[in-house]
Amino acid sequence: MQPIKYDIDPQVLRTWMVNYVCALLGLDAATFSTADRFDVYGFDSVEVVIMAGVMEEEFQVLIDPSQFFEAPSVDRFVAMFASGASVG
Amino acid sequence: MTPRVSLVVISYEMKRELPRTLLSLSPRYQNCRADDCEIIVVDNNSREKPDAAAFAGLNANLQILACSKPSPSPVGAINEGIARARAPLIGVWIDGARMASPGLTNACIAASKLHDRAVIATLNYQLGPNVQRISCEQGYDQAAEDALLASIAWPQDGYRLFEISTAEMKGGPGGAMLESNALFLPGSLWGELGGYDPRFAEPGGSAANPDALVRALGLPGTQLVRILGEGTFHQVHGGVSTSSQVGAGNALKEASRTYLRLRGKPLVPVRHKGWTFDSRTGEVGR
Repeated sequence: MQPIKYDIDPQVLRTWMVNYVCALLGLDAATFSTADRFDVYGFDSVEVVIMAGVMEEEFQVLIDPSQFFEAPSVDRFVAMFASGASVG
Repeated sequence: MTPRVSLVVISYEMKRELPRTLLSLSPRYQNCRADDCEIIVVDNNSREKPDAAAFAGLNANLQILACSKPSPSPVGAINEGIARARAPLIGVWIDGARMASPGLTNACIAASKLHDRAVIATLNYQLGPNVQRISCEQGYDQAAEDALLASIAWPQDGYRLFEISTAEMKGGPGGAMLESNALFLPGSLWGELGGYDPRFAEPGGSAANPDALVRALGLPGTQLVRILGEGTFHQVHGGVSTSSQVGAGNALKEASRTYLRLRGKPLVPVRHKGWTFDSRTGEVGR
């Protein structure tokens, strides 16, 4: 499938993801490490896919959930998304 | 005579799987009296309807009903089953392809005595060497599953199902729980809840099952009780969320979107441990 590049500010997406994960897990966004893999802080694959659905609703984009497993951290996902490679 | 527990089991195109499920819920397997447990199968418009006569040998208090308004979602069938249930405790099997371990019914009855407003969650397992969305991509199929069940001489010792299955919850029995596929509530609580939400109209029910758990735990004064040492075990039957990783991912993602639109908040797995009831020891963890 041809990658699609959405016009979303990577920083907006990063902030949204950090806030989402921190709210869910009760973590402090100020000290949250965006480089860590999702599973390091107990965010499992089911929750990652649920986040993909919420993200689609929030940003009106299409996301292939499997890309979260290829880019399993906030930093890596944002980078992939910004490049246009993270969408299905 | 009023049964002690009603089991509502939804069936759709489960000619292979339903007989094992019902055997696993039968009085002999569950070590209870037939009068104690009524089983209500609601068939959601299978091409070949299950026939109660075929299960006469189980000596179970069994009714097989045809859903009056069948739809792609099992929600209507579930609510019809709950409405027919007579026992003070009602367990719902949204997926009739799930076999039970031998002490599940008695464990849930015992757990229901721990709290007037107990929300009793049994834990989900899937037959096979991995969760089926992965194992099916590696060759696991119904024939492999039949061989696996034969390898433990099922149903001789139903607890051996644990040896040939994979837990759905990666975090262990106390970990984050998206849903329970045999969810037990007092009948009065099902009434307060209004059953399952029919707005989850998609095939398979979308997020209806997680939603029922979340809403039940949101009712005032309810207490989560997780059952340890028992479980339900999914037989592979071509369902979209267990046949491939892509299918499972997309189904869950769509369920997440549907839930957000209906509830105005993200679907969140249950993270608090609640109480536990260990059926093997009778120990209660609070």
